[in-house]
Formats: sequence, C-alpha cells, structure tokens
Amino acid sequence: MGPSVQYHCPCLSTSPVPPPPHLPSSLHHFHPLHNLFFCEECDAVRCNRCVAVEVSTYYCPNCLFEVPSASVRAEKNRCARNCFSCPNCRNTLSVVSSDPPETGDGRSTAPLNSSGEPPFFLYCNHCRWDSAEIGITFEKPTGLAAQLQKYEDSAPDSLEFDRLKDHFEPFLRASSLSSSMAVHAALPGSAAHSHHLHSTSITAAASAALARDIPGVAKYNPLSRSASGRAHRDRTANKDEMPEYKGRVEIASVGLLGGGGGDVEVDFMRRLRDVQSVASVEQRWGNSWAGTLQVKDLKPLRIPLHSKRSKRCPACTHILIKPEQKAQSVRYKIKLVAANYLPAITVALPHLQKPIATSDAAKRTLMKISPQSIDDGTTPPGLIAGKTYPFHLALTNPLYDPIQVRLSVQRVHVTAATPGVGEKARRPPFAISLPTSPFPIAAFAEAWEYEDDEDMMVDDDDFGAGGVKGRDKDGRGKAKTVGVLERRANVTLIGGEVIIGKEARGNVKFNMLVTYTYRSDDSTPSEGDGDVPKSSKPPEVKSFAFYTVVDLGPIIPREEPRMETDA
Amino acid sequence: MSSTMDPPIYYSRSEYIETDTGNKVSRRATIAGPQNIVLGGKTIISSGAIIRGDLRRTGPGHTVVIQLGRYCLIGEGCIMRPPYKTFRGAFNYYPMKIGDHVHIGAGSVIEAATIGNHVEIGKNCIIGKFTIIKDCAKIADNTVIPPNTVIPTFSRFAGSPGHFIEDLPESTQEMVEAQTKQYYTRFQPLDRQ
Repeated sequence: MGPSVQYHCPCLSTSPVPPPPHLPSSLHHFHPLHNLFFCEECDAVRCNRCVAVEVSTYYCPNCLFEVPSASVRAEKNRCARNCFSCPNCRNTLSVVSSDPPETGDGRSTAPLNSSGEPPFFLYCNHCRWDSAEIGITFEKPTGLAAQLQKYEDSAPDSLEFDRLKDHFEPFLRASSLSSSMAVHAALPGSAAHSHHLHSTSITAAASAALARDIPGVAKYNPLSRSASGRAHRDRTANKDEMPEYKGRVEIASVGLLGGGGGDVEVDFMRRLRDVQSVASVEQRWGNSWAGTLQVKDLKPLRIPLHSKRSKRCPACTHILIKPEQKAQSVRYKIKLVAANYLPAITVALPHLQKPIATSDAAKRTLMKISPQSIDDGTTPPGLIAGKTYPFHLALTNPLYDPIQVRLSVQRVHVTAATPGVGEKARRPPFAISLPTSPFPIAAFAEAWEYEDDEDMMVDDDDFGAGGVKGRDKDGRGKAKTVGVLERRANVTLIGGEVIIGKEARGNVKFNMLVTYTYRSDDSTPSEGDGDVPKSSKPPEVKSFAFYTVVDLGPIIPREEPRMETDA
Repeated sequence: MSSTMDPPIYYSRSEYIETDTGNKVSRRATIAGPQNIVLGGKTIISSGAIIRGDLRRTGPGHTVVIQLGRYCLIGEGCIMRPPYKTFRGAFNYYPMKIGDHVHIGAGSVIEAATIGNHVEIGKNCIIGKFTIIKDCAKIADNTVIPPNTVIPTFSRFAGSPGHFIEDLPESTQEMVEAQTKQYYTRFQPLDRQ
C-alpha cells in the first residue's frame, strides 16, 4: 500500500473536526473519495454509513431476471427460476441431462442447455457435486424451483416461518399505519449503525422492520431507555395485547426429527470415517434451520436476490443516488458523488517513484539513461526516522470553474498534547510543511484528448510555476520543495515536506483541512444531474471545507541498517 | 481519481508494434489467427500473451473469434481462448467479446463468452468457459470463475470458486475509465540511447 488520502464524513461525530489520525477511531471517519456522496441541498459530504438506502430493483445475480417486489416476498428473496447454488461449494449449479457428462477427450463438457433425456439433475461445474447424489432429479429442465417447491414447503424452517408470519401478521398490519412515521425517523439512525459494507437492501429493509414498533417487542428493546424508545412504548402501550408465540415443534424434541441434535449427531460422529462427510460451517451457514452435520443432507439453495439501491441524504432526504430501473444498466438517473464536487487529491513520495520497465530490454535501456531510476532494491520502501522527505500532493479540480484552494495541517500536537507529556512522546513526532497561501486550480475542461502525452510524462525538472528553486533529476529534494510545483490543465501539484523525528514510530499520518472557494452561479456544480432544483443565486464566491487524512506510510525505525540514500 | 503522478511504464520500442489506431502489440505475444481478431484501438497486448484467434467456428466464411474494445490491457502471459462446447453432438468454438476499458492481469486464462465494459480482472485468474461478465465488475487476483458463471454489474468476485464479495461504488465506471486511459498514457516507448 502506497501513500493514500482519504476524505472525512462528519456523520459519526457531532463535531465537524475529525479525531486525530493516531486514534483508532480515525479509521471510521475517513473514506476513499469515490465512496462518498455530496448533497447539494445541505452542501455536505455524505457516506455509505449515513445515507438512507432504499431498494429500487431486485434481480437474480445469475439469470439477471428482474423480480417484481411483490413476488420477492413470496419467493423469500430468492430466485424462483432455475438458479441454485451448490451446497458443497456455493457455485452456481447447471442443469444437465442424464447423458453421461464425460466425452471422449476426457474433459467434462457439461452442456449448457441440455437437450438430452430426463431425468435431469443439477450439476456443479466446480466441485462436481450433483443432485442425483441426494436423490433430487427433475422431469423437465425448466421451472426447477417450482418442481422443488413441494420439498421446500414441507421443510421445517419454512413451516415455522409461515407460522411466525401468521402470528405477527395482524399486529404488523395494525401498527404499520402508526409506525410508518416512526420508521422514517428511525431509518437514518439505523442505517448509520448497520455495517454498511455488507448490508444489502434486504438487511436494510429488515432493520427498518425491526425498528418498527411491534407491540410487545418494543418493551424488551434495550434501546428503550432512549427517548425514541420510550416514545415507542408509550404509543404502543394501549394496543398491546399479544398472545405468546408457540413454536410448531418443541425445541426439546427437535433431535428426534433428525434435524440435528445430541444423540443423533454423537452417533454419526462415532461412525465417522471420512471428515469430508461432515458439512463445514460455511456450508451450513446459509441455512435458516439447524440441519444435520452430514454433507449428504445438504440441499441446493435457490440463489438469493441482489438489489439496486437508491440513496438519500439523511438530513434533507434528497436523492443522492438513483439507478436506472433496468437491472444490468450501469447508468444512474441521479448520481451526486463527491468526486464531482471536491478536488481529488493524490499523494506520492517522489523518492519512492521509479519508472517501470516492462521487459529486460526496456530495463537495460532505462539503466543507460538514468541508472538510479531503476528500483535496484537499495531504496527502502518507506520513510526512515530522523530524515526529511519531500512529498507531492496532486489536486484535481472536477468543477467547470477555477477554484482557489488552501491547505492546512491539523495541529494534533497542540490540541491533544494537554493530558500529559507521556502522551506526547508516544505520538509519532513529525512535522509537516505545506504552502499556507491559497493557490488556484484551473477549471475542468472535459478533454482527455488535449492532454498530450509528453506533458503527462514530464520529468520532475521542468516545473513552471511556483516557488521551486531547483530539484535534482529523480525528484529527491535537495532544496526547498514546499510550494506549488506544477500547474497543468485542471491539476495543480503541490510540494510538501515532512521532517521525521529521530525516535518516530508508526505511520506518517496527518489530518489536513482543505478549503476551496469557487464562484457559485447556476453553471457551477450541475454535473451530476439537473434533477435537483437549484435556486438561482447571484454569482458569488462560496467556500467549502473538508478534512482529509494523508497517510504517507510507515516510518522505518532508526535501528535498521542504514541504507544508502542521499539527502 | 487516477494518480496523475504515477511514473511511466517503459517498454522497448523494438518489442512493440503500434497500429494506426494506437494498439500496442508485443512481438513476443502469440497471436494465432490474427484475421479473426479485432482490436478496438489503444489496446495493449503484453509480451507472452497468447490469443487464439485460430479457434474459429467451423463453417465457411469470415468470422470474428475474439473482439476487444478500446483501452484494454492483456497482461503478460495471459491466455485468451474462445469457449467451446459440444452442442447437439457437434463440437464448436464460440466467439469471445470484450468491451472497452477492460484490464486483464498477468497470467490469467480467459475463456469467457462476454466481458462488458470497465471490467478489471486480476492476476492469475481463471475465467471459465461461457462466463458472462457484466459492466463495471471486478475479479480479484487468483480467482477461479467456474464455467457458465454470470457476474452481475458492480460486483467484486474473489475466491475459488469465485463468489460475490461486495458491491462496488457507484463511480466505478469513471474510476476504471480514468485508470485505463492513464495506463495507456503511461505506457511509453523507451528508445533514447
């Protein structure tokens, strides 16, 4: 991992200032620019943790069929066509006919759409599991889910689930009207708490359903101490009479049904000859019912649906992301991503940058030109304590107007050092120098074609603008390198310098406040979509500020044998 | 967005043939049946790659076996082989179509039927026969995608067999496009002596 820049979303804290970068909590406040959104109404950055998510389309990831939301519930969020996953390796199964899948050349050629004879069965192209092993065969190769319906409907988990549904149905219906408001209010909060990375729309919908005040459930909610929880309880107190739910089977007798349980499993384990016949946790994980431990009892599962999601600003509920309805379209009707509003910042350490040679011949040629430029293994892959390094920040303006940018490093040393001297000593002591005066970045011109190749490949020695006093060929700063190094198209290259203390440890990681001013008129940031109405303002200069964390990489302690470097 | 400070990637001018449309094809790549291969322009085929345009559908006439879009990269040592199957008793090869801005890492074996636009495939992957990869998907390094798999848009797959790992960000298309264009720009001849 090279040096990186991440952007702050203030949704997790009340203060607009992010925590100092050496705290573990810092990690959760910062995101890559491309995962962030921008709400024009609130003039604020939003992240996947804080946006409110709603499903716009469900589709099967295998057959790509768009499933209407009405049948999503009926089909229990799984594909109701021909898509099954292998119980053994979770790969997608294909339907094959009874013709032997082996051909003369010894390769298995499982036909795509079998035109062979019945019975048909499901076959895994990866692990060679087939459904005939467990006695599942089909009369015709289509509508497999419907053919398996009878097995599924009689499974204990679906029977129990239906019973639970029947039990809660009247209460859900009664409370849905009154709680629809509450859910709406609760949604941003619940979205913020959920693990956004893995949360599918289904879990988002589930968490919304859980937040709904089911009478009798709310009072066991540990969060009911909070104000909102109390409100739930008060409202539900009067209509709260729910009979106790009785399971379809007594849990004590589950073992007798062969659905897992003590004696049966002990007996099975006693006779065990091959560890392969025990289903792994991963193989059983997707089942909603505690099944047996035996691989031979695993059933193919219908493939869970995926979804396309719209995202809304948690504060003003304006839509930030709205995908096109078609499942496999990659276009968006509305897409307000932060990359279209905030300057993109990339960071590089020039002393680590080497031209790459694709072949030995190119490498040899490169050696002749500049022997030092090839990575010959002598350059340490990091920053050595007690040294001073230049670093480059390239800022790219995504706006169609020029902007003025000011960078400032957050002084964690001053603010956080008050508790004690010990604290101060533990922190990696390093000092960052960056230009303090504002600098311009030209407007984005939407013209890749105009960026001629020579320009992209400048050696570090032809910087036009800025306070560069002279640098050697491969970018190792001999002189002062702080300031504007280069301006090209909508990119401005800024030089900074880091002075690392002798006893430094950890990463060179600092928070940087980026403030930029732009001319705010109608033509300004309308790149995402015209759908969001912008009140026409008189042209004025507006400014926006956001925090970033810059990670230059780990500091190599002094003790290590000193490598040959200059500076 | 793509780093504007990334160092150039040098190749020796003698090794690569550059076409009128900016394709750069290594002389050390094995291009079988070039008359059946279409390159979209600004596509790089690295050394050691094997592209089997000769495995064409039986029958008379001219056929396109492998079609590549613009700004693609076929990494070093990649094997691109059209998918084949026996259908109604007849063995046949089927064409392979690859969209724009597709990068394929070194050492991967591709037998896909269709790869969409803005797709990234890592190093040492195996993409099984008749795999369909939709737009803006990403296959992690060392992934094995079994035959006939469908990979939906904006999804990252990894593992053996390859599984869905996570959704990719909404701006994947822009990111990949910038990255592939950047790569093409960085890919420079070196013949200054």
